[in-house]
Amino acid sequence: MDDVKKIAKELLTSGKVDAVIGYIRYGNDKRTKPFIAQKPEEVENFVINKYILNNLAVYLTRKEVTKLGKIGIIAKGCDVKSIVALIQESQIKREDVYIIGVNCSGVAQDYDIEFSAETIAGKCLSCEVRTPKLFDITIGTIEDIPQGEDKKLKVIRQVEAMKPEERWDFFEEEFDKCIKCYACRQACPLCYCEQCIVDKSIPRWIESSATKRGNFSWNLIRAFHLSGRCIGCNECERVCPMDIPLSLLNRKMAMITKDDFNYVSGMDVNTPTLIGSFDLKDNEDFIE
Amino acid sequence: MENKNQDPKIIAFVCNWCTYTGADLAGTSRLKYQPNVRMIKLPCTGRIDPVFIIKAFEKGADGVLVSGCHPGDCHYNAGNFHARRRWIMFHKLLDYLGIDENRLHFSWVSASEGKKFVDVVNAFTNKVKAQGPFKKYEKINKEFVING
Amino acid sequence: MEEKIISKENLLKLCSDLLKNNVDVITPGEKGYVKIKSENEVGLNSKAKHTKASFKEYIFPKSEPIIYYKKNQNEVEIIEPKVEEKTTVIFGAKPCDIRSINILSKIFNWDYKDEFFNVRAKNTVLIGLMCEYADEFCFCTSVNLSPTSTNGSDIFLLPLDENSFAVRIVTEKGTNFLKAYENYLTPGNPEKSKEVEAGVKQPEKVFDAEKVKEWITGNFENEYWNTIGKMCLGCAQCAFVCPVCHCFDIVDEDYNYYEGRRMKNWDGCQFDMFTKHASGHNPRNDQSKRYRQRISHKFKYYPDKFNEILCTGCGRCSRGCPVSVDIKGIVSEIYSKC
Repeated sequence: MDDVKKIAKELLTSGKVDAVIGYIRYGNDKRTKPFIAQKPEEVENFVINKYILNNLAVYLTRKEVTKLGKIGIIAKGCDVKSIVALIQESQIKREDVYIIGVNCSGVAQDYDIEFSAETIAGKCLSCEVRTPKLFDITIGTIEDIPQGEDKKLKVIRQVEAMKPEERWDFFEEEFDKCIKCYACRQACPLCYCEQCIVDKSIPRWIESSATKRGNFSWNLIRAFHLSGRCIGCNECERVCPMDIPLSLLNRKMAMITKDDFNYVSGMDVNTPTLIGSFDLKDNEDFIE
Repeated sequence: MENKNQDPKIIAFVCNWCTYTGADLAGTSRLKYQPNVRMIKLPCTGRIDPVFIIKAFEKGADGVLVSGCHPGDCHYNAGNFHARRRWIMFHKLLDYLGIDENRLHFSWVSASEGKKFVDVVNAFTNKVKAQGPFKKYEKINKEFVING
Repeated sequence: MEEKIISKENLLKLCSDLLKNNVDVITPGEKGYVKIKSENEVGLNSKAKHTKASFKEYIFPKSEPIIYYKKNQNEVEIIEPKVEEKTTVIFGAKPCDIRSINILSKIFNWDYKDEFFNVRAKNTVLIGLMCEYADEFCFCTSVNLSPTSTNGSDIFLLPLDENSFAVRIVTEKGTNFLKAYENYLTPGNPEKSKEVEAGVKQPEKVFDAEKVKEWITGNFENEYWNTIGKMCLGCAQCAFVCPVCHCFDIVDEDYNYYEGRRMKNWDGCQFDMFTKHASGHNPRNDQSKRYRQRISHKFKYYPDKFNEILCTGCGRCSRGCPVSVDIKGIVSEIYSKC
């Protein structure tokens, strides 16, 4: 933990970066929140623990943050994937960001719960990037993570086994809870569009009302726009105030892109993006 | 019988250079096909945003047909390759969300394939007829009119 | 204020009677405020944590049609939907939730009388429950409220022991509501209930809203807003779970070329689209300005106009914030600058 303070302080003092985005403890000892330090003395409260849930990469494309100058960022392996994806998609330049990678041994699902095999975040169970793929410096050591049951995968399998009408009913009920607060979109590091398609009104493609039709289309298109891009940080699901299981969609799409294209988003800055490229041999069994 | 839809509404998104011209050829060759398809011409299959397909279903389509140039024939070289990649993911996503695969059909029809166009439309129309009306969307669309 | 006692058994009976009479009973549970089907689901735990969203949705829905239209030959027919006059009982809500009804009522009856809100509010009986939950986000005492405040409730319950509740009948609506259930009630014991009331742990008072208002008035351009603006992600989670946020957007949606409806949807001041003009100009073009608006509206503009703080101190916005932007912390910090 002292490492992170030392590194952040050094970066700010030497002027290598203009701001460091990190986590500070907040509330009780089972909570952290993001914090942007611009002065060396502001890093005093920086912390690394099991409750650093946020994906801070979301800040890298926000204009309130980019105007601060060169950014140093504390990022877990999964968060680094989103930084890689942002570089792949030409949203940021590698040289504009200093990555303090965290060797990660899993985080909790939520704040205010004891970290254990039961409460480890689902994404950590199948994590392949516990050592970040891209970094300027890393901190922390990797320990064994508690092995819990991958409950969400089980649900995905259950949904797959349903009949189409049952799947519709299942998702209609889940999406019906949506209140269109767009926390999922705002917390997503890859939802950086200046104007989201749901905010476009001439023509209005997706209804802004939180009605069955508007909610279904919104959640469908959100999932599609992240297909082949979502890196699985699962922030959307964590922040959803209505507890909509968005990872059922995102993970399913990641499984599809892995199966069909052997593509995993955010692994290598030099790989072209899935949706921005094509292969002559792409599967076309379903096309007559 | 009650489960069958004798007059389904089908929206076809087709590319200007191949399928639309193919449909034209079907017409000038006096080939007959079922009249349920409403065609919307776009410059290229690459221009067919999946949101168009969603909108078509929202507005009461019972089936959506998407068609363009064969791979390698794209007027803009690679538009249909990009489209194909998108469709792979999109049709699986729709299926996962419970929109039956039989309501969405993809095909390659070139400018010289008037006959194929006729076959594709007839076969797809029959498939959609067998599916019956899109009840799930009908249900949520009823909210839009009073006492619906 | 009249006071009675009701046993837990009778309270459940009362609830069961309501359900039999086809009354909508809304109660806080693990999945938020939900309409219950059986009296056993009723939420009567005064130590329960706040639900993620308030019950606002049952009085001011997230989306509702306000007009249906139909284009005929040469004219447009407008059909106004009527709100169903159906009794709804909100059972066991916390004081900080129930407080919202009187605050919202002011804005919805200011220059225009919002029938949709008023009809629902009129038909809703609010049964409050004393609150014994307080975490680091709670600050009801700082906005002149307390865990035993009856403001907004028609009937207020205080758990006396495991099997009985003191029933404070606050309004005429509450009196009328209880008339049908008089045989479930026994005479009250105000001394005991006062004792219970006095024993409730109060969240610490962390700011003085009057002073905060003064600071906001003089610090429109203060640098402090930028420190929040760079952290806030600009979603509307805070506004939508808030018991008193009431902004809405109006949009038309078509069913087909001839028919459609006009919708009233929740809107949030942290969206960049919220103030964007048709010209493309956006007076609040930066998250800092948007967050300043949020705080100013709650602690200055609304108090100036309606003499009510637009906040009940429930702390929901902060508990659920994706990046833990904490309204209690922010206002306390403002207070420390006064």
